[in-house]
Amino acid sequence: MIRYLIKNNFKLMFRNTWSIAVMLLGPILVIAVLSSAFSELMKSYEGVDTFPVGYRIQEADDAVIEATKMAGEEAGILFYEYPQGEIKDVMEKNELSGFVEFSEDKYTVYTSADYEVEGITLKYFMNKVMNEGVDASLQIKEQAKIALPVEQLEFMPAIDSVDYYGIVYIVYFCWCGMICATGVLSNEKKYGIVRRFRVSNISESQNFLGKFIPIVLTVAGGMAIATVITVLLYDIHWGKPLLSTVIVFLMIAAGAALGMMLYNISDSLVITIILQFTIVWFLGFFGGSFETYMFSSMPDFLKQLSPIYHGNRALVELSCMGESSYVASTVIYSLAVTVICSIVAIFAGYVRKRGKA
Amino acid sequence: MGNIILKTTDLTKKYNNKAVVDNLNIEIRKGEIFGLLGPNGAGKSTTMNMICSIVRPTAGEIELLGKNPWKQKKEVIHKIGYIPQELAIHGNLKAWENVELFTSLYGIKGQELKKAVGDSLEYVGLLERKQEFAKNFSGGMKRRLNIACALGHNPELLIFDEPTVGIDPQSRNFILDKIKESNAKGATVIYTSHYMEEVEAICTRIAIMDNGKIIACGTSQELKKLVNSGHENITLEEVFLTLTGKKLRDYAE
Ligand SMILES: Nc1ncnc2c1ncn2[C@@H]1O[C@H](COP(=O)(O)OP(=O)(O)OP(=O)(O)O)[C@@H](O)[C@H]1O
Ligand SMILES: [Mg+2]
Repeated sequence: MIRYLIKNNFKLMFRNTWSIAVMLLGPILVIAVLSSAFSELMKSYEGVDTFPVGYRIQEADDAVIEATKMAGEEAGILFYEYPQGEIKDVMEKNELSGFVEFSEDKYTVYTSADYEVEGITLKYFMNKVMNEGVDASLQIKEQAKIALPVEQLEFMPAIDSVDYYGIVYIVYFCWCGMICATGVLSNEKKYGIVRRFRVSNISESQNFLGKFIPIVLTVAGGMAIATVITVLLYDIHWGKPLLSTVIVFLMIAAGAALGMMLYNISDSLVITIILQFTIVWFLGFFGGSFETYMFSSMPDFLKQLSPIYHGNRALVELSCMGESSYVASTVIYSLAVTVICSIVAIFAGYVRKRGKA
Repeated sequence: MGNIILKTTDLTKKYNNKAVVDNLNIEIRKGEIFGLLGPNGAGKSTTMNMICSIVRPTAGEIELLGKNPWKQKKEVIHKIGYIPQELAIHGNLKAWENVELFTSLYGIKGQELKKAVGDSLEYVGLLERKQEFAKNFSGGMKRRLNIACALGHNPELLIFDEPTVGIDPQSRNFILDKIKESNAKGATVIYTSHYMEEVEAICTRIAIMDNGKIIACGTSQELKKLVNSGHENITLEEVFLTLTGKKLRDYAE
């Protein structure tokens, strides 16, 4: 019996033209705008091979400096020590792209307006090295080789902004799929259609699936079309089509489950949409949807918390490297969100129905 | 006559400590067309909603076909057909899709579902227009579709909550005839309205409800006898107004 519920809810979502239009035009427009806006920045970065950076030590661990220098060399950042002089003068005189001052428990990065791209790269590099690399670097005495995550820096020049935003915004809109359900849900409420469900044998989980499945199908269809259009229009390169499709699909499911959970808890479409968009905005903010995650100086643990970060990295790395260590975490994360949100959604719906006064 | 389809015992619903339905006791027997008359806000819809397990009663008991619709919902809910007062249909679904969706909620599928959809649409005279979107229907057609959506699973008890508001006499007569037809085929009917002639025309027994209470119950003849007016040909409307008073109901008291 749930088959007919799915079928008709799907028809309703499909006939809700404005939400379909948003899901289709949204990514196409955003990708166009952002990829052109950032293409300059990323292109100029592509031209940069290596650049010089000054540094100065005030009571810092030598091992840290050594590790930083070695990692820098691999990433194309050459460190030179300048113990004396006003930093601004030193930078100008020696045509340095940046400057780092190491103290005991912090470091300060100086950048110059003349070297914007190098400055962003340096900040990102320092952030990476300090957050992920230092622990590893402390073992420097025992281990000849330093386990710094330099490989993540290596690919940076390889992805161009069109590919990056072309992929990242498909991911972003996957998480906004709940808007496809707004028509159905508002009608159900406005016209008291929920009462008909009440006067029937339909269970809460059937009711949930009757919406969740059509949302996933509608968004998947919309995203497939948006992807094909953007690939044709902007020549976006996706890596490993099958694997990428699976990842995108799982994230659509996670986004739909999240939305249904918010709806069943709040029982209000407006609150659901506001909350969903806010949550997704934050996930995207930390996950590299607005600022490319390579250049982002966001603390690493915040990035790791965002499923969008995992998805973005997995898909971008699949595109430019053909493989990614983030595929597994994306799959696990998306599945976990889907399952947990679904269970909470069904439970919340059940509680609401029971308590209906 | 004989077996009781619906029995409420001291059924009460309070909103903000105000009793909207107040210790209601009704008994409806198989084969009846039971009319529930009452001014706006009397509590008719609330009563129907409690019977259909949409609104939880504050107190009291409901026995529907021998079961408690709140505790044994699974065993009894598919035996009722509820036609809500508001139009509960999807404008963006075609007529047949609406009926299919709501009939399928009762576990009917495949050929059986197809036949049920066709029968329901034919019953309300919309079979030829089944391919049209509900949003393009006229008010009367929407009303009829609203009814069709509750009939597909062949319920034993039909609950009509003001099915004839805002429609022309033709559609109204059509609907009333259909209700009588269903009743003749064995369905018990509860019918709420504030159109006196309708209720008088089709109902075998009538209850007048006001402020959440039944203030009179019986056949239309019995009700007319209740009111001692000077003249012979008292209408049900006069009875109604005498019993419920002439004050406007939606005013805050
Ligand atoms: N959810 C609610 N919260 C508060 N009050 C309510 C609620 N639902 C109904 N009421 C109140 O209960 C009273 C009875 O409403 P009900 O809809 O049962 O009346 P009715 O007899 O069906 O009237 P009508 O003929 O206008 O349809 C009204 O005064 C209404 O304001
Ligand atoms: Mg009513």
